[in-house]
Amino acid sequence: MAAPYLKPLPRVSEENRPFWDGLREREFRAPRCRDCGEFGWVPYPACRNCFSTDLEWVPLSGKGVIFSYSIVYRGPGAFAEDVPYVLVLVELAEQPRPMIVLGLLEDCPHADVRIGLPVTVTFHEAPGEDVTLYRFAPDTAAG
Amino acid sequence: MRGAHEVSGARKAAIVGVYTTAQGRRLGRTKVSLEIEAIKGALADAGLAHTQIDGLSPLLAEPWSKTHMYWAEQLGARPVTYIGTGQGEGAVAKAAAAVSAGVCNVALAWVAHVGGGQSPGTKAVPTAAPRLPDFHWEIQGAYMTPLYALWAQRYMHEFGVSSEDLARVAVIHRDHAVLNPESVMGRKGPITIEDVLSSRMIADPLHLLDCSIENDGGYAIVIAAEEIARDCAQTPVWVLGGAEATATDVYQTFNNPWFPEEGKSVRRCTDMAFDMAGIDRQEIDVANLYDCFTVTMLRDLEEMGFCKIGEAADYVREGHTRLGGSMPCNTDGGLLSNSHNTNPSGMSVIEIVRQLRGECGERQVTDARIGVALGQGGSIHGLASTVVLARD
Repeated sequence: MAAPYLKPLPRVSEENRPFWDGLREREFRAPRCRDCGEFGWVPYPACRNCFSTDLEWVPLSGKGVIFSYSIVYRGPGAFAEDVPYVLVLVELAEQPRPMIVLGLLEDCPHADVRIGLPVTVTFHEAPGEDVTLYRFAPDTAAG
Repeated sequence: MRGAHEVSGARKAAIVGVYTTAQGRRLGRTKVSLEIEAIKGALADAGLAHTQIDGLSPLLAEPWSKTHMYWAEQLGARPVTYIGTGQGEGAVAKAAAAVSAGVCNVALAWVAHVGGGQSPGTKAVPTAAPRLPDFHWEIQGAYMTPLYALWAQRYMHEFGVSSEDLARVAVIHRDHAVLNPESVMGRKGPITIEDVLSSRMIADPLHLLDCSIENDGGYAIVIAAEEIARDCAQTPVWVLGGAEATATDVYQTFNNPWFPEEGKSVRRCTDMAFDMAGIDRQEIDVANLYDCFTVTMLRDLEEMGFCKIGEAADYVREGHTRLGGSMPCNTDGGLLSNSHNTNPSGMSVIEIVRQLRGECGERQVTDARIGVALGQGGSIHGLASTVVLARD
């Protein structure tokens, strides 16, 4: 039996449920405004560009590049046992205004972590919990 | 220098009393006992009675709250007619505006904190997965230091700033703390750039000594209308102008460019404060900015317009922020070496008041007459407030 997952988990609000459902289906979805075409991250109930509430959840490519990173040597709570781990801000590929998403980077030697590294979204079950999480990993398919 | 002058005929407001409790890790005190000590101390400093308070601004409390109501009762159940909140600088700025508008006569801004900071050492491993709002940063293993580290990393990448440039801020603020007998770290003596770079890495590129300290403590600030201020025990320190601003959420939204030319909240509230004060940046004799991390200090200087974006490292290296420089900063040692008591923004206001009153002993800036304080937090440069103060 897997050890219990002790790191923080999302409460899964009703308005963001489509995002978390998407992860379970191996999709990273983000809200896009049907009026002006802008994406937004983190999800908000109205478009931050034009304030329209006509939004739709769109599955993304999951591709992006590292915008910034930090190798963390002291972790809080249950993250303490994972140090050193790599936190990244990833600039996703989708236009017109790319979203910047916070997440953990895995499967990447620390010496290879750099701003501009192409990455892709990965999906993780939280053992014993009813939620799927996302992370990032180097995009080996990127040219 | 243009003297402290009326803004459209409204009556002026001054800081008339300040007080800081002991600042340290194991004070053995309750939060409310520190609050009461700070409030009594600031009133005594002003030579005012608690019965004269009719405005309350507990730092960072909710706009209407049990907090204001509790303290209205505690102070004697007299009606309080200004109910405010904010960081130290914003609280003082708005309280002064309330005084000028005739909403109240004597306002109190204060806070105290005990037990537990924000660093990971204070967080026990839970026995079940905590549930947080959907996009809370802790779900991703982030907390303050890694978030500011992401900022520092991108800043260093875009502008060619080095770890030594960051470390220099910590060295200078420790040198100032050594001259401040009330500081938490001053008694440990000065540090070098090498000390900072060889201190334990917390979240690359931020070492332990790039990070503010964590301790308990409290403080209080009393703001009064001119006719009361002139009879108070101390030289009035006039609130020439101040503003606060926010443009983003709490550590969730990040934008590229992260350092836009036009700036954001820090730029806006600082421009407003200087406009309201009617003074130029070169007229500032002493400043106390928000140095939660070394990188934050550099960005504060840029966003407040004391130097161009990307040039703060040069500005600091040239010695402007040291005692004896053109604009000494964080003469108390700042959040890096004086005190970080969870809501420390008002400590900067208090140090400026003490400098302008001439109370700073070995760390006194000669003839300090005009000062500025900056607070920020809630997000990276996300919630900011600036206040410009002056004595006659």
